[in-house]
Amino acid sequence: MPRSALPRIVSTLAAAALLFAACGGPPSPGAQVGSGTTARNCGIDVTVPGPPQRIYAAYQPAIEVVHALGVSDRVVGTAFLDAQVLPEYVDAQAATDHLPELPSREALLAANPDFVVSGYNGLFATTGSESLGTRASLRELGVQSWIFSPLCPSADGRSDEAIDPASVTIENVYADVRDLGRLFGVADRAEQVVAGIQARIAAVQRRVADAPRARVAVVSPEDDGTFRVAGGLDFVTRILDIAGAENAFDDLRGRRNVPVGAEEIIARDPDVILTSTCCDGAYTPADAEPDAERIRTNPAFAGLRAVREGRVHGFLFADRAAGVRVPHAAELVASLVHPDRR
Amino acid sequence: MGLALGVVAAAGLSLLVGIQPVTPADVVLALTAPAGRPADAVVLYLRVPRTAAGLLAGAGLGLAGAVAQGLTRNPLAGPEVLGVNGGAAFAGLVAMALVGVGPLGGYVWFCFAGAALALGAVLAIASAGRDGATPVKIAMAGAAVSALLFSLTSAIVLRDHDLFERFRFWLVGSLTRADLPIVLQAVPFLAAGTVLALALARPLDAAALGDDTARSLGARPALLRGSAIAAVVVLAGTATAVAGPVGFVGLVVPHAARALAGPAHVRVLPLSALLGALVLLLADVVGRVVLRPEEVQVGVTAAVLGAPVFLYLLRRRRVGDL
Repeated sequence: MPRSALPRIVSTLAAAALLFAACGGPPSPGAQVGSGTTARNCGIDVTVPGPPQRIYAAYQPAIEVVHALGVSDRVVGTAFLDAQVLPEYVDAQAATDHLPELPSREALLAANPDFVVSGYNGLFATTGSESLGTRASLRELGVQSWIFSPLCPSADGRSDEAIDPASVTIENVYADVRDLGRLFGVADRAEQVVAGIQARIAAVQRRVADAPRARVAVVSPEDDGTFRVAGGLDFVTRILDIAGAENAFDDLRGRRNVPVGAEEIIARDPDVILTSTCCDGAYTPADAEPDAERIRTNPAFAGLRAVREGRVHGFLFADRAAGVRVPHAAELVASLVHPDRR
Repeated sequence: MGLALGVVAAAGLSLLVGIQPVTPADVVLALTAPAGRPADAVVLYLRVPRTAAGLLAGAGLGLAGAVAQGLTRNPLAGPEVLGVNGGAAFAGLVAMALVGVGPLGGYVWFCFAGAALALGAVLAIASAGRDGATPVKIAMAGAAVSALLFSLTSAIVLRDHDLFERFRFWLVGSLTRADLPIVLQAVPFLAAGTVLALALARPLDAAALGDDTARSLGARPALLRGSAIAAVVVLAGTATAVAGPVGFVGLVVPHAARALAGPAHVRVLPLSALLGALVLLLADVVGRVVLRPEEVQVGVTAAVLGAPVFLYLLRRRRVGDL
């Protein structure tokens, strides 16, 4: 693409210049010198000399947590939204420098961040097109990093294929919010956020406590006639559990997203099907309807229980994530799966 | 005759084997008296279109390969080696990603155009230089153009996750996308390509003796070349529109046909069509069950099964003896 070559070269040169400027000193002028704060994330000790002043947030869960923690004014860039941010963060998000796709490593470094928060592990994986380099390689440049811990890979540079199943819990969401709050110097705010999430989750759990547990499949129809389903490892399994349901593909634990054929879905005959519509920063639940309609009108699925009973619902991939969106997602799923318990 | 029975048996397997248990009685009932039974939907909307797509695309690829090898007198000239599948896939992807044209009917023309452009480029590149389009130069030009097209396709498809998931069909062939409208729309194109290809059997035999001899036998080399290129483009382009860029079938199948029936195109062409259908259907059936619950795309199983055969051919034959 010759059109974009020149800006790319300029931004690379700018990044190089900034790197030279940053050499030897603390990564950002605003950082306070002190004993520093350390938190352990996915087996890596993350130490900041003082609260990061130049935070970069990639992917929905990371973008929403920085807004929830009230540090939006310290954000130097955000990238990649799966859907519109929660209503309470729309104004804060509109004020950030946002990229609809992930930046290149050069573009990331050109923003001169001192801390990168990622909602998914692929950002630091050595495989895959979305990698911006391993966490170790960023740390060498004075950039600390964080992965949402329900997706902790077994080692730096790994991705979904190496998620530690023990880390896929709601407790890890609370731990992330608290740890990030401590590192960012907003521990009190983090406690409020956690308390708010816990209260809303408890309310959902009370509402569905004695309801029969539905078997729910979270399904993305693909262009080639196959489907991607959320396996048991995916955090949506925890959200379904809170909302009084089970993942119909809970036994698939090799990775988060599993490609299956139509016959596999017919064989499992789930009670409810949710789509997994993704990825555009403007998406609202209404944008998930076409995916739901594709499943409802697929002639091969006419005999499915969920189709016959009108229980195929549009659902956003953003609501599958482990982050501050969990209570919102749990309330939504509970209302879809147990409409009688509103 | 045995081969025709083999194709029927493979089609039967393709109807019966899969994650949902389906018996021959289920198939008969679904076809004759569908009544909303669970097996009816599986047979009518999944297994039948998939089997039909495998038959059509496999036959198209086998036939295209036999014509391509006869045309270029090159044993390494499968449609995939000539860049035809890659060109068709790239154009199909462009049509879907940028123009958003609907099922087969719209973008099959893009596939034809892509296939024709790729084949034209390969033949033009291979013809450059003093000694003309030798088998080795055709294979090398085809490899280069195919690599370029694959890179372009990957560059579009891999740009982000979402696009990759939606369009991975265009990287590796698959029969999972087939539905009845797609299959029915493909039939006239493949029928036309097949008629044209079969009509070329005698001229291809004459051309095998060299242009001068062919001319003295009343053949018209330029007309033959144009018709054969058209047949390859239509057959491989339609197969790609239905099943994506499946490799190795068009390359390997004609060799098996010649091993069974000798070099005469009157026999090689129909045998290649039958064998192509047989191989693609079996590869698809294998892909459905080996990694359950995941499906292996037929392009992958065809490559896994076809690559060793291709390497064997490379070792055994002196390149160019056709």
